[in-house]
Amino acid sequence: MRSGDFKENYISDEAIFPSLFARFWVAALLVFLLVFPFIANNHLLYIANMIGFAVIGAVGLNLLTGFTGQISLGHAAFIGVGAYTSAILVTRYGFSFWLSIPLAGMASALAGALIGIPSLRVKGLYLCIATLASQFIFGFIFVHWESMTKGITGIHIPPPAIGALHFDNERKFYWITLFFVLLGVGYARNLIRSKMGRAFMAVRDRDLAAEIMGINLFRYKLSAFAISSFYAGVTGALLVNFLKVVVPEQFSFMVCIEYLAMVIVGGLGSVIGSVFGAVFMTLVPEVLSVLSDIVKEAAPEMASLIVPFKQVVFGFLIVSFLIFEPRGLVEIWNRIKKFFLLWPFSY
Amino acid sequence: MKKTVFCVISVFLFLGIMGVAIAEQLPTICAVHPYTGRFAFAGIEGAAAMQDVVDMTNEAGGINGKKLQYFWADGEYKDDVGIAAFKRLYAQHKPQITFGQSTGMTKALGPEIKDRYKTLYSAYTFAEEAANPKVNPYLFLPGPTYVDQFGVILKYIAKEKPGANLAFFYSDTEFGREPIAAGREMAKKLGLKVVAEEISQVGGVDLATQILDMKAKKVEYCIFQGFVSNPIASVVKQSKDYGMNIKFMGTFWSTEQQLLNELGPLAGEYTGVSAYSFYYQNDLPEIKKIQAWTKNKFPKVQYRSQSYMAVYMSTLLFVESFKRADKMPGGFNKPENLVKAFQSIKNFDVGGLMPPVTINDNSIPVGRVYRGNPSTLKFDPISDWVRLE
Repeated sequence: MRSGDFKENYISDEAIFPSLFARFWVAALLVFLLVFPFIANNHLLYIANMIGFAVIGAVGLNLLTGFTGQISLGHAAFIGVGAYTSAILVTRYGFSFWLSIPLAGMASALAGALIGIPSLRVKGLYLCIATLASQFIFGFIFVHWESMTKGITGIHIPPPAIGALHFDNERKFYWITLFFVLLGVGYARNLIRSKMGRAFMAVRDRDLAAEIMGINLFRYKLSAFAISSFYAGVTGALLVNFLKVVVPEQFSFMVCIEYLAMVIVGGLGSVIGSVFGAVFMTLVPEVLSVLSDIVKEAAPEMASLIVPFKQVVFGFLIVSFLIFEPRGLVEIWNRIKKFFLLWPFSY
Repeated sequence: MKKTVFCVISVFLFLGIMGVAIAEQLPTICAVHPYTGRFAFAGIEGAAAMQDVVDMTNEAGGINGKKLQYFWADGEYKDDVGIAAFKRLYAQHKPQITFGQSTGMTKALGPEIKDRYKTLYSAYTFAEEAANPKVNPYLFLPGPTYVDQFGVILKYIAKEKPGANLAFFYSDTEFGREPIAAGREMAKKLGLKVVAEEISQVGGVDLATQILDMKAKKVEYCIFQGFVSNPIASVVKQSKDYGMNIKFMGTFWSTEQQLLNELGPLAGEYTGVSAYSFYYQNDLPEIKKIQAWTKNKFPKVQYRSQSYMAVYMSTLLFVESFKRADKMPGGFNKPENLVKAFQSIKNFDVGGLMPPVTINDNSIPVGRVYRGNPSTLKFDPISDWVRLE
């Protein structure tokens, strides 16, 4: 009888999906994701797309903050760099959407690597402030480089297309989002079990010790910033091509806070945690909105109390999770897995 | 027997389908209000205004006898939340008319409204982009654009003091920057000199730099854009402390009771442009109607803001468009009919809430200049209604 999860060789230890339980649920999730667009309405598909963008951005930020230990308050700026790069390439230079996505990622990666340079000298709160500067610098550029960004007016973007097939609604765009989510999550999952991933974690745990062991801090810290920003750039490019418009106010400081909340609530240092965090931070407010609408319709005279109350509930949920499970939603998931791993004889 | 049962079932099924079809034909408005978030001061009033007009319309017999339906959701003044709410409402209710919470939401949804949803649409915005029927015939503004409002102010200044020195004082937001470039050009044409441009955060309090800059540049008129109350009240008070004699002016969102309350004895220092009459202008029939309705239904409510008036006006136009489109072949369920009906509105009497309304390029380019009265803490009209070409 099975009484634990034993690994007998390195290959099984490094497997992406180490157990039958994990493989089953991943397969079930994939089936659900493939069936979902055929059963969901436009509203649900809109939410699904927004969750997808959040997942990519959150996984990117978790690689930097959760795995490498570098706190960044510039994530919204990097999302913005990707968004504007894609919008400008598509509308001004006639690039295809498909080519603009990797180029947007690369532009953000370059910006992220530049902003990451201070990480070699400063840590913690000081690094926070250094990265916060990027938020203001790029925010200023988005508004004032009018010849390129069209300033406050923003840029309208045509929907992506392959030949005569235009991805101009939530249902069609869902497939693009799903493709990039699977690619982004899959790459991150592989990255963290590679040499580079282990180097990231060594830097996070004790950078001096990591350097003594031969890990090049300059290379790996900047790589973490670049990869994280690449994810952010792809997120931004997808978001604005989905919304078909880009304006500077889409990349406010609050967006940084939301992404940090996603990785903290989901679980720092966990790819699946980023996914949980992104789903939680996007889906729960929507569910609360639907619930408040139902209550509001039943008691319209109470609208002024009920509608704002959903934000109180959302805040309370976040605080509750952090108090009762400081390691994030991923830890709850881990406990569920452990329970079923030895079920029915768990002890 | 079997045939009878079959016929009865068929009749019920037919009536059921017809019932659904009839239910779908009801005139419906769906709105996303910024009920929470930093624009909630307008959203709460706007939600109430829309509900009031819908209830008034239904009490008066609805849209040519059909009950007008109204559903709304909170968009939190965030574009992604607002768009999600719009799509949720659309999926649930299939409205013929929709209302959005911001300029950003309008810009993001504009192309889809034109190509896919095809609903007559207005929003809490006076941005020019929402009043261009050649680009998007479905979007409209219930008043003048910010550029139009700047035009009213600049014409007023040019008449009062030709060649005056101006400062544009605006927030570093889309809302703040919208009319600035056009304002510079208009000022030049009117022979006014824009000698300073000051930028501040919404709600900013440390304003000595901007005020001293205006003093150094001998500014005579300062026009605010993109703020609701602060920093306007702080700028007015601090500039008086510095012994400056600038006249302060502003556009729609700041020409509001809240600002006069904050200014107190300095209320007379502020002059603003608004497209609507105020709740306390008792001599106007539509205002009397709103006052009576409010007193009857919401006895605790003492005042209705200009945000209320703006959404009230939009909803009146929605109702009128529904009524006109209903008489066209295809009725109001045909999107083009609603657009045609809306654009056909000419000299429509709104009981003094605005002068008789004529739609021009999907907006109503009309404004009036009001000055704060320090003794009553109310706005007094100091110009007639100004129509802009």
